[in-house]
Formats: sequence, C-alpha cells, structure tokens
Amino acid sequence: MATIRVPEHVPPEMVKDFSLFTSPGMERMPNGDPHAAVACLHNGPRIFYSPCNTRDGRGTWVIVRAQDQRKLLQDTGTFSSHRSLFASALGENWPLIPLELAPPAHSVFRSLLNPLLSPRRIMELEPAVRDRAIALISKISASSTSCDILTDFAFPFAVSIFLRLLGLSDERLNTFVGWGKDLLHGDGIRRTAAARTILAFIDELAAMRRKEPADDFMTFVVQAKVDGRLLRDQEIHGIGVLLFVAGLDTVATAIGFDLAYLARNPTEQELLRSKPDRIVLAAEELLRAYSTVQMIRVATKDINFEGAPIRKGDYISCATMIANRDPVEFENPNTIDLAREDNRHTAFAYGPHRCLGSQLARREIVIDLEEWLSRIPDFRIKDGTAPITYGGHVFGMENLILDWS
Amino acid sequence: MEYRMRVIVHTSKCQGHARCWAQAPEIFNLDDEGYILPGAIDVEERDELFASRGARSCPERALEIDCVSDALLDRLLFNQHCGG
Repeated sequence: MATIRVPEHVPPEMVKDFSLFTSPGMERMPNGDPHAAVACLHNGPRIFYSPCNTRDGRGTWVIVRAQDQRKLLQDTGTFSSHRSLFASALGENWPLIPLELAPPAHSVFRSLLNPLLSPRRIMELEPAVRDRAIALISKISASSTSCDILTDFAFPFAVSIFLRLLGLSDERLNTFVGWGKDLLHGDGIRRTAAARTILAFIDELAAMRRKEPADDFMTFVVQAKVDGRLLRDQEIHGIGVLLFVAGLDTVATAIGFDLAYLARNPTEQELLRSKPDRIVLAAEELLRAYSTVQMIRVATKDINFEGAPIRKGDYISCATMIANRDPVEFENPNTIDLAREDNRHTAFAYGPHRCLGSQLARREIVIDLEEWLSRIPDFRIKDGTAPITYGGHVFGMENLILDWS
Repeated sequence: MEYRMRVIVHTSKCQGHARCWAQAPEIFNLDDEGYILPGAIDVEERDELFASRGARSCPERALEIDCVSDALLDRLLFNQHCGG
C-alpha cells in the first residue's frame, strides 16, 4: 500500500481506513453491492477523515449522517462547490454552471435555468420521453427475450432525451455515449481528450444556434442575458458541459440498479407490474437505496464542524449513498420498502445546489419502470451472467443482462 | 371545537425538490422556477393526509406542520403538551 499522508491538523483518531475508491466492496466485481458496503459506516463515527477519497488520491473529510450533510450542503458560504471539476482535466480553472458558482452569481444563473427544468416544464416534455421509452422497449421485445439493459436501453434512452433537449437527432447517440464514458471513467489521457472534444462540440452547437435559432436548450442559452448582457463563451461552456456530464451517466446507472433489484425480487416486480400507480413512490425509494453521486465541498475558512477541525481548503465528502442509509433518518435503511413514506432522501443532494435536472431524472426513471414493466413479462438476471458493479466518485453498473424467455 | 391544520412554509429553505408538489399539487403551489410560493398554507380537513405527507417528504425541512391547534386539543382532551 502506498504511503498515505494525513494533514497535521487532522487528529490521528479521526482518520479511518475507508475510501469510496478502494475499500472492500468498492472494486469492480460481479454481483457487487457497493451501496450495502458503505452502509456499514453508520456503525462508526459521524465524521472522519479518509486519506484517499478522490479520483486523484486526495484526502477528504467524510460526513456520514444525513442531518450533518444537510447542514453542510445548505451552508454554501462556508463550504464551496467550486473545484473546477471539468476544467481541471484541461489544466484550466473555470466553473461548471450553476454547480460550481457561489451566491449571488449562483442564484442569477440558477434562476435563468430553473424554468427550463421545472416540474411543469418536465410535464410538457413527458409525452416525448414516454414515446422514446416505448420505441426502445418495443424494439427490444420484438426481436428478443433477453437484452443488456445498459447498452440496449438505459444509455440510449437517457442520451436520447439529452439530445432532444439540445434539439439534436439520435444519429450521433453512440458518439456521445463514448465521450461520456471516456470523460467519467477513462484514464487521464482519455479524459482530457474527451473534455476537449466535448468543449469543441459545445462551441460548434452554440455557433449553429446563434446563426439559426431553434426551440431548444442551447438556443435559450445563447440568447439569454444576465445583468443585461449576453453570456460569455466560458459561461456557455460551464452550462453546456454540466448538462452533458450530469445527464448522461446518472440516469442510465439508476435504471440499471433499479431493474437489477426488480429482477432479483420477483414479488416486488409483480407488485409494481400489477399496481403501476405505486411506481412513483417506489422510484423515490430506489433513488434512496441506489443513489450514485458523491458531493464534494471545499472549506472556505477554518471551522469546527461537529467535532472535526476542518481547515480552509480541506475537501469534504457528502456521499449521497452514505447519508441515504442513515438509520437516524430512515427506519430500517437497508431494507428496500417500495411503499416508504416520509422518504426525505438526498439522491439529488441538499441545499442550493440541489440537482437542477432532478425533475427530469425522476420522470425518466418512473417512465422507464412503467413502460418496461407493462411491456416485458416476468424478467430475471440471465443464467450464467452477473451484473458488474463498482464504487468510486459515481457508483455504477457495467452490464445487466435480463432474460424473460 | 375549531381545528385546522396549517403548514408553515420556510421559503428560504426551499430548494425546489418539489416533493411536496408531487404528493399534493393542489395544496403546494410552485412558482415558475419550481420553488414553493411564500405564505402559510391553511389545509382543508379533507386534504390533511396529503398535506402532511407532502410536508413530511421535504428533504430540506422547509415545511413545518403547525401543531398549535393540536396542542390546544391535546391540552383540553388529554392535558398534554404538543408533542412537536
């Protein structure tokens, strides 16, 4: 094991040998359950220091309890979300928008973009989303009694909705999936190359929409004004890239985990199939149980937080998958109860940076479950196959071969 | 005995999750950005179940069920204080 450096201000007794990247259960493995693996943290301290808990091997404080994550994520003054997540892959320093902006700039951009992804706007998009799901599922069910949910359905579905937002056809769908995979899961060289490609694409699309406006997201962005001026190129990059990064992997992965759960639990599967009005609530429970994202914040000043001597510049991890298994917040957190009430989960984070696309994401998940269950009979994981799961910054699933022969 | 449920809205805590609206769109009204409109909500008796489900699903704790009337009832009937 490599030598681990812990900053001097971290008391040794607060250091814990845990990492979302390297701890047991986090590695790439067949039939893994990384969410259950992190749930064990609730047997330990409410906050600790993990010496190696980011992709690039940085240490972070880890906030275990939901209540503490809520408090921390609501306090954007003390805990900043700007760490140039994307730009750093290019050796640059500019924010994803609105995620990496602080108030008041954050509120300006958030107010600009909120109406595009508000619950009401998403209701208007719903018929198109449903048509897309039905088309994909009908194609699968017409030709086979088995498929890989991730490659045959979840990714094409999520990416196609994203392309529709941008006013683009499905022609380049696979290209986009490839860029997303390289950016989120590739090595350093591939990440940088993908980041450059995505930026060039955003510039190209922005130029196109300036010349020929359409009724889509990018046209809105290039025509929008803040403080009486048009957006700068870097701001358009920040918005475009965030939309790209946030919309690709997350929904597809959630669909994978959800259908894997239903494949392994035929009674629950049949219950939702026969009572589709229960799917909306069930989807929230599945979001809770299989949330995939780790929020990271940077301390803007020295602060003692729940007994932890946090210094300015320290990284703090608020992993949704940990808080969502908190027994103080959720009764029997490791039991999946598809009828769970009072489900105040944090799959989309807490605080002002609550996932901007959350309404679209949850509708995609609900529609997927409704259409899949009504069109595909009793399904299970295909004999001799095993879904491969992994932990890390974004939990994921590589394959899920379902069989309904 | 007059008793009515009220939901107190802590507007500054609302982050637009819209979980309340998903439970009860007629009770919880959102603005164009998807955030809750300010002002306490008086709940009709027939809406109490959905109003309380909506309030209890808020991840930010922005909705508080006012229990003053409950307290009055409790004190009168059971001589107990509001559980809060």
